Order: sequence, then C-alpha cells, then structure tokens
Amino acid sequence: MANESDVRYYKPRTEFALDIKDIQNFVYDMSRCIKCKGCNWVDHTYMPGAKFMTRCPSAEKYQFDAYGAYGKMRIGHAFAEGRLEWNEKALEIIYACTLCGACDVGCKRNLDLEIELSLESLRVKAVKDGVGPMPAHKKIAENIAKTHNMYAAPHDKRKDWLPAGITPARKADVLYFVGCAASYTNKEIAQSVAKILKAAKVDFMLMPDEQCCGNTLFSVGMLDEAKALAQRNIDEVRKSGAKTLLTACAEGYRMWKVDYPKLLNISTADLGFKVVHLVEYVDELMKDGALKMSKAFATRMAYQDACSMSRLSDPWTPYQGKRGWMGCVEPRLKRRRGTSGLYAQPRDILKAIPGVNLLEMPRTRENAFCCGAGRGTKEAFPDLAKFSAAHRLEEIKDSGAETLVTACPHCKNNFAQAIKAGNEHVQVMDIAEVICASIES
Amino acid sequence: MEISKEIYRVLADIVGDGYISDDPVVCEGYRSGPGGYESGLGYERVMTKVPGCVIMPKYTEEVQKIVKVCYRHEIPYVPYSTGFYGPRSHPHVKGALLIDLKRMNDFVLDEKHFYVEVGPGMVYSPIQEECMKHGAYVVIGGGGAQASAIANLIGDGWSPLSHRIGLPHRRILGTEVVMPDGEILRLGSLAQGGDDPFWGESPGPDLRGLLRGYTGLRGCLGIVTRMAIKTLPFQPERLVPTGISPNTALALPEKRIKWINFVVPSKDAQVKAMKEIGHAEIAGAVTKVPLFWRAIAKAECKEEFWDLWGKENEQTVANFHIVRVLLIGYTSEEQMEYDERVLMDIMTEVGGVARRTKPSDESWIKNADSAGMWLMCGGYVSVDYVIETMTQAPEHGPAYAELKKKYTPPLMPDYGDPGWFQSFEMGHQGYSEFLVYWDQDDDTNPVDQFYVDTSKMNIKNRFYTSLLGPHQPLYLTGPKYGPNYHEFLLKVKNEFDPKWMSHPPVPLAHDVFVERAPWMHNMKDWESPKDLDKIKD
Repeated sequence: MANESDVRYYKPRTEFALDIKDIQNFVYDMSRCIKCKGCNWVDHTYMPGAKFMTRCPSAEKYQFDAYGAYGKMRIGHAFAEGRLEWNEKALEIIYACTLCGACDVGCKRNLDLEIELSLESLRVKAVKDGVGPMPAHKKIAENIAKTHNMYAAPHDKRKDWLPAGITPARKADVLYFVGCAASYTNKEIAQSVAKILKAAKVDFMLMPDEQCCGNTLFSVGMLDEAKALAQRNIDEVRKSGAKTLLTACAEGYRMWKVDYPKLLNISTADLGFKVVHLVEYVDELMKDGALKMSKAFATRMAYQDACSMSRLSDPWTPYQGKRGWMGCVEPRLKRRRGTSGLYAQPRDILKAIPGVNLLEMPRTRENAFCCGAGRGTKEAFPDLAKFSAAHRLEEIKDSGAETLVTACPHCKNNFAQAIKAGNEHVQVMDIAEVICASIES
Repeated sequence: MEISKEIYRVLADIVGDGYISDDPVVCEGYRSGPGGYESGLGYERVMTKVPGCVIMPKYTEEVQKIVKVCYRHEIPYVPYSTGFYGPRSHPHVKGALLIDLKRMNDFVLDEKHFYVEVGPGMVYSPIQEECMKHGAYVVIGGGGAQASAIANLIGDGWSPLSHRIGLPHRRILGTEVVMPDGEILRLGSLAQGGDDPFWGESPGPDLRGLLRGYTGLRGCLGIVTRMAIKTLPFQPERLVPTGISPNTALALPEKRIKWINFVVPSKDAQVKAMKEIGHAEIAGAVTKVPLFWRAIAKAECKEEFWDLWGKENEQTVANFHIVRVLLIGYTSEEQMEYDERVLMDIMTEVGGVARRTKPSDESWIKNADSAGMWLMCGGYVSVDYVIETMTQAPEHGPAYAELKKKYTPPLMPDYGDPGWFQSFEMGHQGYSEFLVYWDQDDDTNPVDQFYVDTSKMNIKNRFYTSLLGPHQPLYLTGPKYGPNYHEFLLKVKNEFDPKWMSHPPVPLAHDVFVERAPWMHNMKDWESPKDLDKIKD
C-alpha cells in the first residue's frame, strides 16, 4: 500500500458497525445516494428493452420516488436526524417493500452503499419508536409466540407432513429444517424433500421440536423476538450434532445463513454447521452420481430466482471499523454484493431433466423481479404482493414458459394465487416437486 | 403561493388521486440530497428545497392542464424526469410543485425510418437495447444509461460514441413542448399539424436552440413531453450480456465490433492519431483514457482505488497516453478488417502500440456508467465541457489542472491530471471534459468557489465553454459571450414565462446562489442587478 500521508488528507475517523440496531450506523449510506436509480433499473448491461425495465416491486407499484430506495434513503436519513415525524404514510413506505435486495445489488454495482441494511435498520427504528410493525405483523408475532408457527396452526401437528414410509433418523449428519410453510401449508414440498433424500440414500433428522425460523419477526424489525428464536434454533442444531442444516425454503435459508449470524453478531462460518438449500444439496448429489434425473418432463420452463437464495444470500461477517476520508473504511470490508447467490445450481438441475426446455425470463438472476410475497409483505400489503406476482407473470408468459419453478413456498403460493386470479395457463411448482417427479420411477 | 386544498383537488382531478401527494414523507423522498453532481456542495444546501407537492402526469394533456393551474394560481413548478442531474433538477423555492414525468415513458421505434419516439420518463439503456435489436443504435450520453433520453438530449447528450454519431442537437427530430403557460409548441415536422415527427427542422426559425442551446436550461423554458430521436445503422450481431453484477459486460462479436487500446508516446501523438482516424472516417469511438479511469476500472472497492491511485505520481500521470478506439463493422466483417488495417497504419505512423484489450464492453455502448464514477469519493462534478477544434480542446485540460492546484485540498490529489479529451464528428471537433472530486464531509466551500473560478478562466483563455446559462452566474458569463447573451436569454425567459413559474430562479439560480452564500461574496467581481435575491424562496 502507498504511503497514506502522500495521497490522503487527514480526517478524523468515525466509528461504525454493520449493526442494524442503530440507524446511525447507516447515515453515511443514506446520505450518499445520488439518485442514479441503479436500485430500480435492471443492470443496464442486461436491460431487456422497453418492457420489464425495473426490478423494484414497490417503486413499480407506487411510482413515487419515496417508494424506491432513492426516496427511502432520504426519508431514512431524515428520521435518523429527527427531521421527520412518523405518520401512516411513512409506515406504508417503509413496510410496503419486499426487502428483496434488488436495490442493494444495484447500488453495489455503482456506489457500494449498504441499502438493504439501511432498510432493515429503519424498520428496527420504527419498532423501537413504538410505531412499527404493521398490525398484520403483530398478529404473526402473536401466532409465533403462542403456537411457534406464523399461521397459528396447532404446534403438535407440525410433523404431520411426513409421508408414509419415511422415517427420519434419530441421529444424522443432515438436519432438515422444514419451516412453517412446508410443515403446514405446503406439505408437498416437505414430502418431496424427504423422498429425494430417501432416493439418494441420505439419512436425515428433524429437530425434536421445530419452531418458526423467525423470518417475519426479523424482517419487520422485531429484533428481540427474532434473536431469541435464532439463539434457540442454533442451540438445537448444535445439540443435535448435525453437520448440515438443510432447508427447501428460500427465506429460511437466508435466515439461517445470513440473519441468524447477523442477529447474534457472529460469522456464518461460526455457526458450527453448514447451511444449504436443497438445490445446492441436490446439485452435488447429481454431480456425484447419487441422484439421476431420469423421468422426462416435457415442458417449457422458467425459473424464479428467489431473492433470499440469490442476491440476499452472501454469508454474513460482523464488521466494526472506522470511516475516514472519502468514506474509506478500515479494516478493509468485503462488501456483500449478492455474487454468491445460488444461480447456477437450480438451472443445472432443471436442465438435467429430460424434456425440460429451460427458458430465461428477461429479468433473471440478480435482476429478477421479486414475487412480492416475502418478508412480511403479503400479510401487511396483499395488494403489493398481488401486483408483484401479476407483473412477473406477464414476464413469464412473455418468455413462453408454461411451467414456473420456484424454490420457496412463499413464492409458489403467491404465484399460484395470481395464476388463479388471472385464470392464466401457467402451472407453478416448487423445485423439490420437480426433482421428485423426475427421480421417481 | 401555497397549494391550497382547493387547488390540490383540482390537480388531483387531472391525474387521479393515486398520482399526487403533498404528504411530507412522500415529498421528503424527492429531496435533492447529494443527488448526482455537486454532492454536498453549497449550491445544494443553499438553493434546493423539498417540494410542497408531487404530481405524476401520464399524458401531455395532463401536463398542460397542470401547468395552466400553476400559472393561474402562481404556483412555481419544476419538471423532473429521473432526478439524476443533482440539485439543479430539484425545486429551488419553497412550496413548489414537482412534476414527476416518469410515467410518461412511451416508446415507439420506427425501424423503417430510423428513429425512436419517447416520452421524458424513458431512459437510455432500454432505448439502446431496442435499437440494437433492430440494427440501429443511439449515443447513450455521458450522463449515463439511467438518464432520461429527453432530459439528456436537451442538456448534454454526448459520449465517446459521438465520434461518429455527432452532437445531440443533430439527432433531435420532431418534438413537443408544453410551454410555461401551458400552451403547446410543436417543433420540426410535428409543426405541420400532423403526427409525423420524422423531420427535425421547423418551418420557421429552428426553436431547438431554445430548448438546449449548448447545454440546456433545466426546464425553465418549458417541458418536453415527446421527442423523436434519430438513430443510426449498427452492425447486426447480438452483444451478449455476461457476468453477475457488479462485474457485468457485453461480450462483443469480435469480427464485427471490438475495442483496442493503444499506448502512444505523447499527447501530441494522441491528438494526431485522433485527427487521422477522423480523417480516415473509421471507428465508432475514439477517446483518451486517463490513468484515473484505469484505476477505477481495476479497483474492486473504493479503498482499493485509493491504494492504486496512491501509487501514481505526476510523472506517471504525465506519461500515460492511451488512445482507446472502438471499431465497428457496420456493413460487414470485411469493412471492419479494412478499418482495422487503416487504424494500424495510423498507429504505426504515430508510434502507437496495441495492447491486449478485453473483448467486451463495460461502458459506453449500452451502459454509460457515470454513476460508478461516484464510487471513490461520493462527490464529483464535471466542472466544464468544452467542444473546440481538435487542436484547441487538448489545451483546455492543462489550464484547468493549473487552476485546480489552488483548490486542492479539498479537491482530491490528482497529480496534475488534465482531464480527458476525445474526437467528435470524425475529428471535426475535439471534446474536453474536466472532472473534480471531493469528500462532501470536508469544507466544500472552495469547491463552490472553484466552480465559478472556472468560468473566469474560460473567459480569460477564450475557451468556448458549455457551462453557461443555468450552470454559472449569468451576469458573469452573459456580458462576455454574445455579447450580452444574458440579456437575450432573459428576454426569452420573460417572453415565454412572464411570471417565472417554471423552475424559478433558473436561469438566474447561480447568480442568486452567489448572493446568498457568504463564502461566494469575495468571488464576485462582476455587475448584477441589486434585486436578484428578491426572487421568492
């Protein structure tokens, strides 16, 4: 490195941390947005044309700048400095957002600002200030507190999804964390996962007493509640001795891999076990020859990159440092830019299925348009979730696909409802179902 | 005047309740902040205000109605397409109505007649993609792929691709403008009363000059609601997007399109190469590459940029001479092979050596990446653009570099970097641009001073600068250009907008800024009316 004094002017260095508990940590980021709107436009290199130009569901639906990250950064900055009063509109702007990370990777192409963390921190502030989260989120929190799942379904029915003929091991290297959705509303996903593992001769265990991952709690800013669940769930896995935590839910994957470490101020690597999504696991099994996609599925297929297993899934490392001249930080910070998302694995799996014609939608991978369901959005703003899915469906149809494949139950359900509402001729399937159908004889 | 409940209702009836808001949180989302150029400078702090209300029309007729309501009730308004141009595209007076034009994003491509027709909400990269699908292309201005094409074309509108395509006013065809009082003005063949925008020139005097002149007037003479833009033929093969953000690029079909970087021995050789390439009528772009850009391209993060830049010095900057050339086989592979042979002959003559160059395009063809230029510092402004002869343009940068020393710090150390220059219109013109960078947390008052000092330097050295009008104090530049360019401009303004409702106090905003900012007072050595600052805030 060059002699610092030659090129850098003296400047007092301010301490900060990538810690969403305190919004002051993100004032720098919120105050540096230049309205290039890279958060909103599809990466210009990939810009598909005059249709499907944007990637922010909230900005696309509500249109006002306030709903895009460029507006939210200004609003957040004003709240951080006490220049703005909370009102209903402020809560709508902050919570009518899927936290899908499109803005974050867009910004990190140009400016490297921490947009996603700023948005999360703003929600934490709303909760701290006693105005957040939204009533629908509070209901979910109540459900989780009472029944350990977000739907208020009976806790003792959580394992009812288990198919006949499959018995989880008492002890195994792989622990399958099913999640609320696959346990109660999307049992077909959990059942497919179990069958896939059985076909690959992989023993797996379940948590003795699985509870919600806390995704909604974390996402809406209820950090204390989310942290308690994170600690509890991590302790359970550690106690089990599992080496691999397997999930087929994108939101659960992000929670375990990124947000649990974030909540507990540890690195992903320090969890003591590996967090993998089903697509990673199957991809390896397939390439090792342990699984073979043999049954044909003749269809034109499109794959929806779930935000939580793509641009939001870079591993977490706590950071505390100082910011000096020109905003440079020390020690050096490896920015999370979404580059280690699971983009190749699901595509490799689907392409391996005989008969599948895998088509790419105009907006794909880190540029994908969120389905609109995740992170508490569908519960509090069903219109936004519906709009987002319907908007994406137009693109799916435009691509010529007849089968839409997701890797997250929340995506699947939201798309399924939009398809039904629009009487569309598209079928939606979870990738676990597709894999299962291809390996079953 | 405040927007009363009654007026709000009238405006809401024009666009619908979902497209208007005076909620303070929604309006805060439109704060200038550091937006675009001039991050954290005095101009932003002193001159910009949060709008009192925001409205989003969809059609020209709605814009007309909105403007008429504003004129009747004396409500100042500001047209706003993407908000990228920084403080100057935001309200400068309290309680203004911000007219957000993003919903006006219509797009029509006329493949047969080689033009596109767009609304002010349409940005460049989708236009370029659609054009390329049909064998055509446009210049994505240096403002960036994310800039509104209309806003850019009535402001700046050039890039290295201007080597072949030329300057923006040559590409503006039929255009529709809502005048400050709400009346509609149609330019070019649209003025015939039909709906054919193919021809740019008007039956009478060409009024496109009033839209932009050299670099535009930031909407103070009306709102462009529709424009046809000329496109030019391109090669037919697809440029395939590759990589994952932030490392994305277009893979180039090398037999039809390629960048080649040449190391040449001197600045004179750079200039000679550019002239000869122009005279030979080859290439799609020809530009100097400053060492600074190379450090930006290499760095993975801002800290690494400063590591790399810290290794440079005055000698390495002074001795770095790269000419970057884009070859395009517009008609055939054979044409490109011919162009490449001509290029190599020219480079042999000037002592240039071809370097290995990536077969991809990260910036200029589809992704003019100006937003990335903020990465290293968080604040920058292009203090000047000068279009001169190829001989004169390269002299502009060194003059700036000399002046810059006086203001460094807070401007970043650049080891005397003289900016960059390039060929326009096949070497008919030379273009020079000078960027300055700073940390907005520093005392930035000297940056404001430097900006005005550049005007004085241009006047003294007789550089034909573009940054007149709304970009500099009009009473400083006006008497020196024209002469009395300011009086002409103000007469036009008063005629078009007698109540000064359209983006006040532009074109006198920088004059007002100098009056209001105490640190600018010692810069003022020119005459101006005493009542300038009476323009309401």
